[in-house]
Amino acid sequence: MTRFVTRLRALGALLLLAAAFALPQAHAALAPWTALRGKSVLFVTGGAHSPQPNDDALVRRHLRKLGFLVRTVDASAPESAAAGASLIVLSSTADAHALGRKYADSTVPLFTWNTYDYPNLGLTGPVLHRDFEVIDPIQHYPDSFAVLYAYGANLTSQISRAVGLRPQLFGTLYLEPETAGWGRPGPGGTVIADFMGLQSHAAVFTYERDASLANGRPAPARRAGFYLGSDDFHLLTAAYGPAAKDPNMRRWAIGVKLFDTALRWAASPPPPPPAYDPAALESAIRRISHGQKVLFVERVNAGEGRRSDEHIVAHLRRLGFTVTIADQSAPETRARGQDLVILSGTCSKWKLANRYANVPVPVISLEGLMSDTLHFTGYDRYVDYGEHGELRESDDPPEDYLNIVGAWSPMAAGLKPGLVKFENNPGVLKWARPLPDATVIATVPNEPRECAIFGYPKGALMAGGFIAPASRALLPLDNPTFDDLTPQGKALFDAVLLWSIGG
Amino acid sequence: MMRPGRAPRAGAILLAATALGTSFAAAAGEFPYRVLQRIALTSAAPVQALAFGPGGKHVFATAGAQLRRYGTASAEPGKVLKLPGAGVGLAAAAHDGGVLYVATRSPARLLIVALRPLRIKTSIALRNGEPSALLYDRVGHALYVESRIGHSVARLEPKSGKTLGVAHLHGHLEQMAASGRGMLYVANAADHELDAIQTAGMRSDGAIPLSGCTAPTGLAMDTVGRRLFVACGNGQALVVDEDMGFTFVRLPIERAASLRTVFAFHPLGPGGWKGGVFMAGDGPALDAIRMTAFISYVGGGGLPLGGRCTALAVSPVARRLVLAPAPRSAGTSTAGAAVRAGGAQLLILGANGAGGSR
Repeated sequence: MTRFVTRLRALGALLLLAAAFALPQAHAALAPWTALRGKSVLFVTGGAHSPQPNDDALVRRHLRKLGFLVRTVDASAPESAAAGASLIVLSSTADAHALGRKYADSTVPLFTWNTYDYPNLGLTGPVLHRDFEVIDPIQHYPDSFAVLYAYGANLTSQISRAVGLRPQLFGTLYLEPETAGWGRPGPGGTVIADFMGLQSHAAVFTYERDASLANGRPAPARRAGFYLGSDDFHLLTAAYGPAAKDPNMRRWAIGVKLFDTALRWAASPPPPPPAYDPAALESAIRRISHGQKVLFVERVNAGEGRRSDEHIVAHLRRLGFTVTIADQSAPETRARGQDLVILSGTCSKWKLANRYANVPVPVISLEGLMSDTLHFTGYDRYVDYGEHGELRESDDPPEDYLNIVGAWSPMAAGLKPGLVKFENNPGVLKWARPLPDATVIATVPNEPRECAIFGYPKGALMAGGFIAPASRALLPLDNPTFDDLTPQGKALFDAVLLWSIGG
Repeated sequence: MMRPGRAPRAGAILLAATALGTSFAAAAGEFPYRVLQRIALTSAAPVQALAFGPGGKHVFATAGAQLRRYGTASAEPGKVLKLPGAGVGLAAAAHDGGVLYVATRSPARLLIVALRPLRIKTSIALRNGEPSALLYDRVGHALYVESRIGHSVARLEPKSGKTLGVAHLHGHLEQMAASGRGMLYVANAADHELDAIQTAGMRSDGAIPLSGCTAPTGLAMDTVGRRLFVACGNGQALVVDEDMGFTFVRLPIERAASLRTVFAFHPLGPGGWKGGVFMAGDGPALDAIRMTAFISYVGGGGLPLGGRCTALAVSPVARRLVLAPAPRSAGTSTAGAAVRAGGAQLLILGANGAGGSR
């Protein structure tokens, strides 16, 4: 009996170990607390000019309890004060105007709840009430109740996974009208939680290193914005005692956990920046493509895009995939046994109907107009999704460039942030506005809200509450575009392909 | 040694303590009570326990092996009932025309006392150690007897006194509070937390950490708002949300090794406080917290006592507080203190503006 129990325990330990290794890469990338112990934090507060009351002393003590070595300076300290620090923590007690752009270019990661300083750091645009806002119980009494709740907008970020965020409300601060701030990050940002279900009212958001900030500059290091006010750290929610045994209460009262995890994410080392190397990218695909089956769905015998489709299929086969071609009208069951479905831009949205939206294999859509049927975005055509350059169907001119905003992601093929020539000639370019759980790689130039390339990882929260059963990506290649792609455009194609099949 | 399962809790305490490391007390208001009656006690033994009768017209006190009844209006002493041992716990209940529960030590017994006439109806041996506290849960209709020495709390059937279950705990057990919805909380002064007990099976259900509180001794509960009020030895009073175990208010009070806490709705009557929490004990003052809303509590002022208080009780019906200051010798009273030097006495407090003598 004892031996049986011992074996059972050993088996349990093995299972735990296996589960730990099976965790998604993103989760594993959060540094353990032990690795952060002893790291130095520069805590920037308002010092003697801080509004009273405030919780800076509590935060400082909390940071120390977490194992950080904390040095406190006020807003007038020079930027050089951050030299040698592993993390800058910016309190809202510091005067945002006195801070100015002081830490905007710092290569030290930064965690802030100084909402008025968001524009200085490039985290949001500059317009109060549109790009950022501080809700306080005196000026915005009704809204100060609304900010007691936030919505889990992102399920797949490292922070979301570590916190166990769900697509539901949670309690941000304890039950009194409180001060809280929100920001509207640029498309390179990641919204973790928002107020009132509004993506534009991000309660917690981040920028990975090299992600494009709202002002277009690449983030010099990780950045995280948090909803806290100056004097409500002590009201960040948590459940204790018998309440902590209730899973619903545990998932509700996650304020402290979210704060700690966002802080931990900011202080963790970012992934190494991908290098632009198309040949290496192809090799990486070849290493895993053997035996992988791709269903390429097209309008068989299409007119304009026929040659382009043939070339895409040939490219896939050359990379080592086994490709099956299906007509747009073929039943969705054709996806069974496949490892990837690619929907060609030649497909008619009308004829394809809702096929492949729910299939449990990765899907790459080369057609942006199907973004609503595929749960990529909402249903409002030309608002949630649309196109540039289509004669009579678009007010916008043809495009040949993309603006890379998610340079940190492997989907960006190592391309630098900013404009990249995507096609040799200006053409039709489709776009959509994905939900926060998508990683946006590229937008249409001068249209930061019109996202051209993005991907939802498996388990991501998509439009209408749909949970991605496998990865989903938009890579807008209008009918003849594949043949007109620049080398950078082809690299983006390959990078999205590799990401979609899990490379 | 840390008990199994204490490590995560200790972490939670640290975190919560960090989050509440400084005081954010609201400004203390004016204490709304004044002394209406002073009742001199003939016994030299200190009062161990106090309770108002169900209607609030009488107050009962145990001193030594005696139970005494006093009229709150007349301050006249009424009948004295001899107890088999020193009465350490007292609770009143309205059922059966009004009964009083008395816990005695040496011998450890529970007495069920009829009020009219004052007589012992039932006497039951307590087998889990010498009692240290007694609580009648009116909402949950249950009786709890705590034994600090026996590290246990027993649940008893209120009519028969039959033991229904016993929870075994660790640490230094102090005041109890019941939720009326299946939970009992015990202030644990040694572990700086509230032990939570499921009353159905008298099983431990973990503990609520108390941020920044050391040596919690006083405990009371608002069963409607589901708030726990804790008086701590380090001069802090906490308001804890029972549903979350979350401390969301901390107010400064007297530092004292041992404090007792009582809570009442509308203790000043209609138009007065929405709720009041009163704390007194080894410190030289009576402290109050005023409930202005279910989520809002502010300091309610304090009354200098000039010495320890061994027991207190509140009656929202009678709008009265009763305190039992420890007997003091001449020359040690604090200036302005409500307690004068002299023998044992009870102080009956009423709202400012009420009749009575100073």
